[in-house]
Order: sequence, then structure tokens, then C-alpha cells
Amino acid sequence: MTIVSGKAEARRRLQPATSDVLRKMWEHRADYAYVLPAIAVMLIVIAYPIYYTIELSFFNTPPGLQLRDKIFVGFNNYTAILTSGVFWQVTFNTLIWTAASTFISFVLGFAAALALHRDFIGRGILRAILIIPWVISAVAASYIWKWIYHSDFGIIGAVLVELGWATRPPNFIDSVSTVLPSLIVVNIWREFPFAMIMMTAGLQTVPEQLLRAAKVDGANAWQRFWHVTFPHLRNVSTVTILLLAVANFNSFIIPWIMTGGGPSNASHIWITHIYELAFGRQRWGVASAYSVLLFIILMTLGYFYVRALSGNERKDGSA
Amino acid sequence: MAHVVLKDLVKTYGSFKAVNEVSLTINDGEFVALVGPSGCGKTTTLNLVAGLTSATSGDIFIGDRVVNDLDPKDRDIAMVFQNYALYPQKSVYMNLAFPLQMRKLPKGEIDRKVREAARVLDMTQLLERKPRELSGGQQQRVALGRALVRDPAVFLMDEPLSNLDAKLRVQMRSEIKRFHQDLKATIIYVTHDQLEAVTMADRMAVMNGGYLQQYDSPAQVFAHPANMFVASFVGSPAMSLIPLEASMGNGGAVLTSAEGWSLELSPRNAQKVARATTKKVVLGARHSTIKLHKSAVPGAIPAKAYTVEPTGDVTFVQALLSGAIVNISVSPNIAVTPDEQIWLEFDQERMHLFDSETEMALEAN
Repeated sequence: MTIVSGKAEARRRLQPATSDVLRKMWEHRADYAYVLPAIAVMLIVIAYPIYYTIELSFFNTPPGLQLRDKIFVGFNNYTAILTSGVFWQVTFNTLIWTAASTFISFVLGFAAALALHRDFIGRGILRAILIIPWVISAVAASYIWKWIYHSDFGIIGAVLVELGWATRPPNFIDSVSTVLPSLIVVNIWREFPFAMIMMTAGLQTVPEQLLRAAKVDGANAWQRFWHVTFPHLRNVSTVTILLLAVANFNSFIIPWIMTGGGPSNASHIWITHIYELAFGRQRWGVASAYSVLLFIILMTLGYFYVRALSGNERKDGSA
Repeated sequence: MAHVVLKDLVKTYGSFKAVNEVSLTINDGEFVALVGPSGCGKTTTLNLVAGLTSATSGDIFIGDRVVNDLDPKDRDIAMVFQNYALYPQKSVYMNLAFPLQMRKLPKGEIDRKVREAARVLDMTQLLERKPRELSGGQQQRVALGRALVRDPAVFLMDEPLSNLDAKLRVQMRSEIKRFHQDLKATIIYVTHDQLEAVTMADRMAVMNGGYLQQYDSPAQVFAHPANMFVASFVGSPAMSLIPLEASMGNGGAVLTSAEGWSLELSPRNAQKVARATTKKVVLGARHSTIKLHKSAVPGAIPAKAYTVEPTGDVTFVQALLSGAIVNISVSPNIAVTPDEQIWLEFDQERMHLFDSETEMALEAN
């Protein structure tokens, strides 16, 4: 008896709610009409490609056939990827690339921000100089570094030989063992200014009065950093690290231009590998399957990014 | 607890003198308010005592030590800030414990002191909360607690009540006063609100433009302002200041207004006027020392009511007199309407006379 009435109650409550939503939408039909074009454009340029990529990932596209004659293969592309040795090598490279670039860029950027937070003569100029790598186009930077690393004409090799630290210039980007670290150095050089700018902005919001209070409470410079500055920067640090991680996961220009993924896949990361599969070898299906996997990983990172951002807002609202 | 002595303290920023040869002695256990308008140098003076800024010249003694070159942490002081300055990521307990942790006290002792401070300030039930979960008054109490656990020689308070709403401010005012009475603490309290200074402090140091204007008990400052600035700053509504011309004759003195009326001074007041460097003097009178008459009375001066502000207990009448606005308080059952003709009678015993040139109070001897 009670259960029945409970169900009836629930239905009664539910029904007005749905019609409420519809009625509200109808009342606001003009508003919906205004945003409709934008939604339509977004569906075409964002949603459709995502859908098409997912669709393609279930098909085989032999180079001899037209794309519309693609052959359905189910999850074959996914199993082929997950069982191939190259996949694991590229994944390993991507993880190393992302983790090392993100972590070191963040630490360097944070250190630079702290160093430049104090007022001293020439601070503005130094700050401007440090931002240059971030401003230079990645393509240009890649070519510059290719020359810097060059085994015959590169300046690093020449200096090392001149100093007597090497008998002949090392093969930075032509050797399987050194290519990835060498590219990571370039990537860090290019993106640590981003971390520096983010952390500088964060540092400027640390309340002066809290630092003074800590000073009076007897905290030394390191303790003030640890108990006041660092906790205050937790959210901006999270956001910076996530943005760097997403950018690094998605890196393409530096490895593609400097090495094209070689030698023997030693510097291939996911995006360069997908690009090569799709546009180099016309294996659209496999490349799409790769993309879907990458999409899932990045969406997960994106979820944490949004959560970190809303965490920020919650805190600002109450402060 | 300890006494504090400031000796010829100067702080300059470039060519700007924020604090100008300020000398003060604050006795052991005394509550001293540094009061003045924004930019008068009161907060800079407090920061000098705290060691958050360094003095350009002059000496600061806390106890018998010169502390000029000591870091804030070595000065044996605790400070309460305007925005409370609680560590937002730490619980109330950890906020209170922080200064003790920095001094590397044993855990047991920290716990004992924190709980004792929480008990004194009646916030034991708040210890696990984060600052953002507290009301403004509770946050300020935690800030007081953080100063209290240290058991410092001197408490420095920088406008601790100005972020609170009016009602809470009155309540916290008495709490801080009680805090001082119970602890017999030496407190230096900065405020721009003269009412806080008058109600709480044993002595108040009125500052303006980086200079110390007067340093005395609130009663003395109120009754005998040293100059026109102090006279107009302390007391609410402000003391009315009326510029007049003095003329001396056969042993007496008369103040004449450009409006035509004149006021015969008592012998004691005549003596004061005789010491002025100029004939232009300023008559100062507080609202409660002026009598309002609805008809002409001998010795009363004719004026016109300008505005009438009933406040319940008293009604404040503003009148225009010799180009100045004069505040008079009257009983609420006396009905005055704006633009009504009234007569004002000054209490010669309680009026103040200032030299308009030096702006200093004129004294009889």
C-alpha cells in the first residue's frame, strides 16, 4: 500500500518536472533560436569529425581503394594496435616525453618565476628574454635546434670538441639513445616560459599580509614559502601542470620537424605516429583507432582540468 | 610584558617623510592607541615597531633592548592584522599552533597552549574548522588567539576591527578591552576610528602628516586638545571651530565676528587670547557646551538653524555662524526647525581658543 502510493507520488512529482522543462524551453524558444547557428557550426566542425574518426576506426582502408569503399573490420584495428610492438614503443616514448617535459618545464618555470618575483635592476629585461622561446614559432625553433644539434656543423658539438670533452661531435638526434632526451630539452626550452608566466601571475596574488604575519610568527624565508606561498599556488600549479601535460601529449611540431620520429621510431610519439600512419601510409582506419584511444586519454585529463578550475572558483568565492 | 620606547623615530620613502621624529613611551601593561586619518603614519609606526619596515633613524626599545636591527621574530611581539591574515589552508588549531611550531616548542606544550588560548577566547569548538568556515568575528578571535599563544612582550594590532560590521565591531571592542584587562598586556593599537581609541585605550597618540600631535589619556585629549587638528579629530560630532577677531581693551577681551556680533570673554579666556601671536583666533566649542535658546538672552549670539538631526536621545542642530558650521546638541523635546532664528550661548569654562596662525591651543599660563 505504502509502496504503491510512493510510486504514484514519485510519478506525480516526475511528470510536472519534465513538462516544466519543456515549457521552460518553449518559453525561451527565442533564446534557443539565437544560439542555434553556433550549435550547428559546432556540430559540423567538432562533433562530426569526432563521429567520423570513431566510425573510421572500425574500417580497413587499403591504399588501393577509394575511401568510400572501406572495409568493416570491427575491433581489428584496436587489437592490431594493442598487440604491435611499435604501439608500446611509441606509448613509452609519449609517456617519457610528456612526463619529463611537463615536470621539468614546470619546475624550471616555477623557479624562474620565484627568481623574478623579487625586485631587482634588469628584471623586466630578463623576464622579456626568458619569454622569447615561447614566442618564437615552434617550426622556426625546431630548425634552429636542428642546426644546434647538427653532428657536423652544430655549435654544441663544436664546443664540446673545443673543450676537449669529446673527441668528435656527438650524434644527438641521429642516435636511438640520445634522440628523445635531446628533443625533450628543446621542448622544455620552448615551454618553460609558459609555466613561468602562469606561476608569476599566481605569485602576484599571494596576500602580502599573510607573508607579514608569517614573518612575525617567526617563519624564515623557506618556511614562508612552504606554509604560505606554496599552498596558495596549489590550484594554479595544478592547472599549469595539466595544461602542459595536455600540450605535451599533443606535441607534433618539434619531433616531426627535427626527426620525423626516427631513427627507427626512437622519437615517435603518439601524434607523429598517427600522422605518419594516416598521411604517410594512408592507413586511415588504424590512425583513427589510435586517435580514439588518444581522445579518451585526453578527455580524462580534461576532466581533471575542469575539476581543478572549478575548485579554484569555489575557493575564490568563499575567500 | 614589557614597556616600549620610541625615540626620535623617522621613516622616509624617497623624499616623503612617513614618520617624523616620533617619540613615545608606552608603559608596561598599557593600552596605547595610535590614531589619525589615512596616511598619517600610524601603520608605518606600528610596522617599525614590528620590524616589518626598518627605521631611517631613531631607536626602538622593547623592554630594555634596542630592537632596531632585530628580525620581527626576535622582537618578542605578536601582531593582529586588519584582514586577520589567517593561513587559509590550515585549521584553526594549526593557525594557533603555527607560531609555536616555528619556535620549535615540544608538541605537548604546543597542544596545551593552543587549547588554553582557545579556552580563553571561547572557541574550543572551532579548533577543527578552516578559516573560511568562520564568521568575521570568529576569524578575528582566531587572529587574537594566534597572538595570545605566543605570550609576547607586546601585542601590535593594526586596525583589527575595521573589517567587521558595525554591530560586531562594538562587541569585539569590548572583547579586546576585556582581553587587555585580563592579561595586563602591553598593546599598541592602530586605528583611524577615534571612537575606538577613546573607548579602549589608556592613552592615545594622535598623529597627522607623520607627526605626533598629542599623546595623553583620552579624557585629557578630549578636554584639552593641543591643537586644532586634535580638536577637530577627536570627538563626534567634531568640535565646531569658528574663526574670529580678538580685540583687547581695559583688562578684558572681545571676540568679534565678521557678521557683526561680538562675544565678551571671561578674564581667564582673555588671558589666553593675550598670548596669541595674531589677532585672528579660533573659538572651539563642543556640541554639549553650547546652549541653544529660542529667544534672545544676554550674552547669547544670534544664529540660524541650518539642519536638524534627531538621533533619539539627543537632537543635533547645525547652525551657520561666522561662516562655520556649529554643532549643538539639544534635548529631543526642544523643537527646532531649519532656518529658524536661534540664539547660542557658549560655556566660557569649557570653550577652547586656538591661535589661527600656529593652530595651537592658547593656554592661560
